[in-house]
Amino acid sequence: MNSKTYKYIIAFSILALLIVTGLLLIRNPAETENIPVNKNQSVIEDYRNSGDRYPGNSSQVIKEAGMVPVYGNWRTFTTKDGLPSDKAYTVRIDGDRVLVGTHDGMAVYENEKWKTYTTKDGLAHNGVVSVDVDELTGDVWIATLGGLNRWSGGKFETFNQLNSGMPNDLVYNVFCYGAHIWVATGGGAGHYDTRTRQWEIFTEMNAPMHEPWTYALSAGDGKVWIAAWGGGVIEYNTETSQFRDYVDPDGFMEIDLQPDDGVIHDITTATAYSDSILWVSTYFGMSRYDGKNWKGYFDHDSGLASNFINFIRAEGKVVFVCCDNGLSSTDGTTWVTYKKDDDSENGKAIITYGTEKKEIPLSPSISHNFIIGVDACGDFLWAATSKGVCRGELIK
Amino acid sequence: MKRYLKLSITAVLILAVVALIYPPYSRWARDHVNKITATTDHPVRCGSCHLYLQKPGFISKLVNAEYHSPFNLAVSEDGRSLYVVAEESNKLLVVDRESRKITHEIGVGVRPHSIVIDRGGKTAYVSNQWSDNVSVVDLASFHVKEALKTGNGPAGIGLSKDEQSLFVVNSFSSDISVIDLKTSSERKRLTAGNNPTGLQSSPDRSMVYITSRRTLSKPFDDTIRCELTILSDGKQRISARKDIISAYMMENIAFTPSGDLALMPVVRPKNNVPTIQIERGWMMTGGIAVIEMKPEGRIAQLLLDEPNAYYADPFDISVTPDGKTAFVSHAGSDCISVVDIDAVREIIAGSTDELLEQYAHHLGISSRFVIKRIPTGANPKGLAISPDGKELYVAEHLDDRIGIVSTETLEMKERIDLGGPRRTTVNRRGRQLLNNAGGTFQNQYSCFTCHPDGHEDGLVYNMASKDMGRNMTNTQSLRNIGDTPPYKWNGKNQTVYKQDGMRFSTVLTRNEPFSYRDLDALTAYIMTGIPNPPNLLYNPAGELTDAQKRGKMIFERTHDFAGFEIPVSNRCVTCHPAPFFTNLQMVGVGTLAASDDSILFDTPHLNNIFASPPYLHDGRAATLEEIWTIYGKTEEHGAVNDLTKIQLNELIEYLKSLRDPDYEDGSNKTLKAAFGNK
Repeated sequence: MNSKTYKYIIAFSILALLIVTGLLLIRNPAETENIPVNKNQSVIEDYRNSGDRYPGNSSQVIKEAGMVPVYGNWRTFTTKDGLPSDKAYTVRIDGDRVLVGTHDGMAVYENEKWKTYTTKDGLAHNGVVSVDVDELTGDVWIATLGGLNRWSGGKFETFNQLNSGMPNDLVYNVFCYGAHIWVATGGGAGHYDTRTRQWEIFTEMNAPMHEPWTYALSAGDGKVWIAAWGGGVIEYNTETSQFRDYVDPDGFMEIDLQPDDGVIHDITTATAYSDSILWVSTYFGMSRYDGKNWKGYFDHDSGLASNFINFIRAEGKVVFVCCDNGLSSTDGTTWVTYKKDDDSENGKAIITYGTEKKEIPLSPSISHNFIIGVDACGDFLWAATSKGVCRGELIK
Repeated sequence: MKRYLKLSITAVLILAVVALIYPPYSRWARDHVNKITATTDHPVRCGSCHLYLQKPGFISKLVNAEYHSPFNLAVSEDGRSLYVVAEESNKLLVVDRESRKITHEIGVGVRPHSIVIDRGGKTAYVSNQWSDNVSVVDLASFHVKEALKTGNGPAGIGLSKDEQSLFVVNSFSSDISVIDLKTSSERKRLTAGNNPTGLQSSPDRSMVYITSRRTLSKPFDDTIRCELTILSDGKQRISARKDIISAYMMENIAFTPSGDLALMPVVRPKNNVPTIQIERGWMMTGGIAVIEMKPEGRIAQLLLDEPNAYYADPFDISVTPDGKTAFVSHAGSDCISVVDIDAVREIIAGSTDELLEQYAHHLGISSRFVIKRIPTGANPKGLAISPDGKELYVAEHLDDRIGIVSTETLEMKERIDLGGPRRTTVNRRGRQLLNNAGGTFQNQYSCFTCHPDGHEDGLVYNMASKDMGRNMTNTQSLRNIGDTPPYKWNGKNQTVYKQDGMRFSTVLTRNEPFSYRDLDALTAYIMTGIPNPPNLLYNPAGELTDAQKRGKMIFERTHDFAGFEIPVSNRCVTCHPAPFFTNLQMVGVGTLAASDDSILFDTPHLNNIFASPPYLHDGRAATLEEIWTIYGKTEEHGAVNDLTKIQLNELIEYLKSLRDPDYEDGSNKTLKAAFGNK
């Protein structure tokens, strides 16, 4: 072979190498940031990020769904089954039992039976809107419309704005983070240190929120994210005790002028943090934040059931989204949305991947399209709706 | 002759001078003593005050002494050694049973409380109630290997079944530290009752039972209840919380070896009724709670008292290895009750729920199961039984001895002297009196009963007065009150002499009043001998947090946040100035109840106020917050209505930081020892 031939071979090899490298990079993008080490409560984070609560996925059966699980074989529970009220506000899976907050008390599903607890048993108020479980102690914390309860060893202990440092009795959300119990209330957010029994509360007086109405919060990796009504997301660093806020840079209430420039809207209803991703729900869409980049989702450009989102919960890579017109779930790319037909118990799971859609009929389906609460653990997904709670099983 | 004349004249002159001086001096001395004691017939004895009421210093060192005060103890597996927790000398004493001598004195933390030894007998863990840690003692070298950080006020202590974890009951923060012994760090904290102290594992080690002293917050005249907390050893989570009705001061618990019963000393106060009828047990009774361990098992309470004789302040309980006999130490009556457990089983098995409810009040029931009372030394506290079951060891707390009882003859057979000071100082005598029920009618209760550890029991009482059912009052602490007269909520007693003198015997003890010698001793102890624990939870080092500093500004402010001047009489700092946070004056704060006479209240001191719920004179405020959120709206108890919730919280944080002035100058020995024992 002459030298010209060698030159062509070398050039061709280099080009081939570049193409292969490029393909590899596209398929396996490098990490854009180091996942911060959680110095607080590593046991908690290990548990939360472990596979124990991570929902499985249905990719073996429904390839289109990818890593997003698909649930079927839905079963609905109402007052006929022992629920105290069909208006279910929240649901939380705690090992072998499920805790449901309703309009008329807290219902506990265990050994296929429902048992209800009300103010007669020591609940602060029968309107139970949020429940969380302290992973270390097993204590159940219950947010009600009239105070906060700790339920431990069968006994209720009440915290309210009169007998403690809690900011307000209208407790919308409770979140257990290490030794601290965080609450979002109508009069501010705050946390209770279970070891020193001290409250530290935040309102517009000492935090970057323009009013004290807070709806929900979540935490992870040393930070707490408060969904502040009309105030976007308030981030609190538990190590430095510093705040920062994330507000809609557009400033316009109805238009997402510049896509993906920040949180999608300031009327935030919930935050959820998992796998180093912060999810934010609003009444006007949903946002995803990886620490550097924001991504917004609307019902017209994604598989989101509706822009009006009541609540979200993230488990692993997947976030479950409670909308007023269905239950959605996504890993940011693929969507699985559950909707019930108006005139029957049936419905469907709509899988949206890219521009493609696939519908899987479900019979029965979820109990109602107005979803208020959700929790997923292992093979089960529970949803709290205005017509009872429903439970789906992972389609494998 | 001349010499005798000179001597006689000198003597006469001296006598004349004395005769001239003595009457006015005598009158002055009488007036002086009357004023100091607020009585009219206290003997004129200079030493009563000028020797025995001295603050720590040279004279105090001379007249007082440092005792060991054995509190709890454990026995080695081979029975050869006793490990004695010496509460006052801050030591673990290793005593050789054979020679009855102390072989080692190991310095541990401050106010050690309890001890547990691992199965191999290699390591002992000692909880230090005033250091907030546990000393880990190597029993081979008799040295402290390390100190494990706990919650506030560690008391009862126990090892998990696998001995990988240590459970420590934190009596001041009312929770349980679960400590990982591999990493020597606290893994989690679980809430437990109110002022919990005792801890014991069930015989199969599957469950851990924790007893509490104080009741759960309830309004006055509601039935009191005290929590027995049950923790799962494997899951290390609380599995149940049982309310023991009408009882409190549940210091310890023991199990029968078969595990069918758990036994717990209890005190049953009658605080909801006026204290006018002490006879027939209408002030306090004491007994044991018997818990059936089977599913749906019942909880019965059987009195250890008798119709005309009471056995105050039951403290510890130990069960023989054969499960037939239980021993209960009565710290207030200097004796041990011997309980026939089979007889107890018979009573429980043969009784309906209604009958058991009656037995909880029945003073005669003890005759069916108490087989003997064994006299002991002063203030018997912790008990331990030898591995062969033949000997019962008793920590004679205020005699510095270990009593040894034969479990066969049920007699005290010998004592081990721990080598404390031989003399009983006046202060020590006072402490013995405070802890002994001998001054009350039929020995029903001691000062300690309502003032455990010189503090307060968290209950509201209706003290006897001319009008029944009026003037309910919240028990007050006796800790470091020497500088804050007058006493009682209505300030009627200007001195402790008067507080514990004739009126005390008329109104409370219904017995002969203390002799003046005893009254002097009791007064000396109360005035100088009951310190406050350090406030390690909220203000360990005297450096306030930012929130506490802001709270301090609110506490000391002269103007509200709108800029208006707060009247001097309504500023916090006016009535509550440092160092004791009382101006010693009488004041009204708008908290009189319909059942109260129209009186002013003696401004209470606020040192360690975080440890004294409930609040206000009748205990109506369950928490500090409620003083203002519910009961302070009229602004007569400080100007607070302009405060935001954040500001009120900060004021509360500051109040929680208040501690005894003895710790303020940083030189306090106790605080140094607490920090030094890391």
